[in-house]
Amino acid sequence: MILSPEKNKNLLATILEFSYAEYGSALEMLTAAKKTSNPKLKVGYIRHALDEYRHTFLLHKILHNQIKNGIGKFENKYRFSPKNVIAKGYIDKSGFLVEKLKLKKFVEFVYSNEYLAKQSFEYLSKRISDTNSLNTINEIIKEEEGHADDSLTVMDDIMKDENIHHGMAKKFYLTKFSEAQLKIAFTREKFKNRLRTFYFKNLKFLGYIFDPILNFLISIFGKIVNLISVADDNDKNLMSDKNSNSVV
Amino acid sequence: MFYLGISAYYHDSSVSLLNSEGKIVDFKKEEWHSRVKGDKSFPRMALEEMINNFNLNEKNIKSVTFYERPVRAWITILKHSVKINPITNELTRNFFKNAFNSSMRFQMDLSKHFNSSKVEILYADHHLSHTLSTYYYYRDTPSLSLVIDGYGDKYCSSIHLIKSEKEIINIWNSEYPNSLGLFYSAITDYLGFEINEGEYKMMGLASYGEPIYFEKLSKTIKFENDKLEIDTSYYDFVRRVDRSYSDLLPALFNLPPRNSNEMLVVGSDDFKNYSNVAASAQKVLEDLLERIFTYAFNKTGINNFLLSGGVAMNSVAVKKISELPFIESLNVPPSPGDSGAAIGAALFGFIKDKDKKIDPNKLIDNKDLYPGKLVSDENFFDLVLDKITDDSNSIEETSKLISRNEIIATCYGNIETGPRALGHRSLICNAHNQDLIIKLSTEVKKRNLFRPTAPVVLEEFVNTYFNINNSIKNCYYHMSSVATPKEEFKNLIKGVIHIDNTSRVQICNNDQLLGKILTYLKNDKIYLIANTSFNISSDPMVYSKEDAYLAMVRMGIKYLLTEKGLYKIK
Repeated sequence: MILSPEKNKNLLATILEFSYAEYGSALEMLTAAKKTSNPKLKVGYIRHALDEYRHTFLLHKILHNQIKNGIGKFENKYRFSPKNVIAKGYIDKSGFLVEKLKLKKFVEFVYSNEYLAKQSFEYLSKRISDTNSLNTINEIIKEEEGHADDSLTVMDDIMKDENIHHGMAKKFYLTKFSEAQLKIAFTREKFKNRLRTFYFKNLKFLGYIFDPILNFLISIFGKIVNLISVADDNDKNLMSDKNSNSVV
Repeated sequence: MFYLGISAYYHDSSVSLLNSEGKIVDFKKEEWHSRVKGDKSFPRMALEEMINNFNLNEKNIKSVTFYERPVRAWITILKHSVKINPITNELTRNFFKNAFNSSMRFQMDLSKHFNSSKVEILYADHHLSHTLSTYYYYRDTPSLSLVIDGYGDKYCSSIHLIKSEKEIINIWNSEYPNSLGLFYSAITDYLGFEINEGEYKMMGLASYGEPIYFEKLSKTIKFENDKLEIDTSYYDFVRRVDRSYSDLLPALFNLPPRNSNEMLVVGSDDFKNYSNVAASAQKVLEDLLERIFTYAFNKTGINNFLLSGGVAMNSVAVKKISELPFIESLNVPPSPGDSGAAIGAALFGFIKDKDKKIDPNKLIDNKDLYPGKLVSDENFFDLVLDKITDDSNSIEETSKLISRNEIIATCYGNIETGPRALGHRSLICNAHNQDLIIKLSTEVKKRNLFRPTAPVVLEEFVNTYFNINNSIKNCYYHMSSVATPKEEFKNLIKGVIHIDNTSRVQICNNDQLLGKILTYLKNDKIYLIANTSFNISSDPMVYSKEDAYLAMVRMGIKYLLTEKGLYKIK
């Protein structure tokens, strides 16, 4: 594994981030599978989820390969923890996309993001030179491309299903995407991703602005908190003494 | 009328539902739905499913009880952190910044599901919720409830004297940061396992080591003058968010923290060294628990004990405590951790309801280990699985496959309440075949070899195979303690005996799924089944049929038993 030091700087963190993104995608697909009653679609979503789970696992393997090859040192912050998929925003606390978006928007999102993922993996592959890891990434790239195409097939299937169940043949054709619509969706998702990257890149800068304010608030609030005394429960009957509506 | 209890924002959030008789009719963890192990978010999806299944609304919900007092919990840690750390300390800052994501947003999150002005919202003390979650299953009074966990509200450990459901006296507490749970988690972290997840692994690892650091480690946390005290110079959970131990801890062992990236290979030097640390921490934990139990007994003279909190999941320690001479009975609930506290919270609401009309002589069935409704869809199975047989003889067919040394996955009816798989979400196989169990553990589950696999046995045979301690017999119905095998049968069940000569036995009756399978297996002279949870490492237990199929493919499992039949992968 040969990489220039500048490029290596955050490679482990980047691979880990990719794995969280894939994991988040797996969970989205699994939820989509649970939300549909169409057996064929269900299986399609589950297969997509299986691929994303496998990608997560492969990315961990790639990360370990980099460490084995001397690219950076393992630290606990590189340990994959499923809970971080929420903390890092790959899954929204307010709900999965399939719950929040209309079907059309959901498919648009999947389509655009699978292509963006493919592009990101291509970029990542330029930073990795050991053959095994590279082959793995190329395999993932191919599958991501497949997922993007699949999402359109899925849309067809969904609409066919709608057609069968609700006699909505016309609606199917009316709601099917045009190239222009997909381009707009793609640009929108790309812009959102850029904005996210910009935000994370500038967190340190934002810290310079907000940290002194936070310190000031803590110093004031710390003094107030120290004045608050939380009563002891010694020898109290916990079932009768207290106000059950109190948060303190 | 219904009574809801909710536990959330720390780890393993959950929701439980009691009916007008005070019986659990449903219990759900958010991680089952979100598929994020240990999910601490408000149990949005779990609650939604419950609302749909029971048509819950503002008119039929008598109360919603949260399992702690949010402001009290937030202030206690902040107060301590401000006191001992500089303003710029990352723990203080993190705590302050995340106030909006803490349990203080409970009412706001709840209001997305119910009009909170039309539903009574109650707050129960965190440790009281734990006590009530145990009391739900074990109603004998007077009894002493010991709650030992990481942290909740203001306290890390508590002793409650239960005189009746309306008289629960707090007789002792250990305040933050003097915590046995946080101590054990800090060592878990040092050993390279994830906190709130790796404690099981550490317990399994401990059996391989010698407690050579016991004396040294005992100096960092002790029970003296009726007080539990931790020396925080060794533990960074009071000052850092990224690490629970300080540099003094590796210096104490003269051993660097384990790199979680490296495999622990049984027999290697690293394995020996780190298992010695785990064994020492386990011994410190057991020693301190014994002291706290002894203190509780000496103070009250009561010998009927209940134990809950995260530490109660340490099944090895439960057995050790049960050997104390004064203990008549020691009961642990099926779900002793924070998720189970939702049951206690709901019970709090039920007890507090002055308008309820119940027949005091009517006993409720409080032993149901699989409460709840699960609407499941397995129509898609036709596309991916072959049905071997329908539900009429699926259990008999399953037993035949087990006797032919096949591994079977189960996704049968509703899921277990607690953290242990008790048959409804399990991977099972013949427990008399050691090689098969090794395959199940390492190849299928992809676990480390040092982690044990549990046996299941019919009640009629338990005393044949194991030395059962009657004071903890109830614990064996939901795998909350361990037992030693009978010497004469050890060779027959080697695969389910851990290195320390214990097994985390599950006793079952023949009206339970695994009991029915074992009843058939008797004909083939198979008396024990090996049982482990149906999930891949780092995932929650499977919940729905979609999860089950996905896990089958990921784990390479051929057979699946559901309530509708027995299937084989295509």
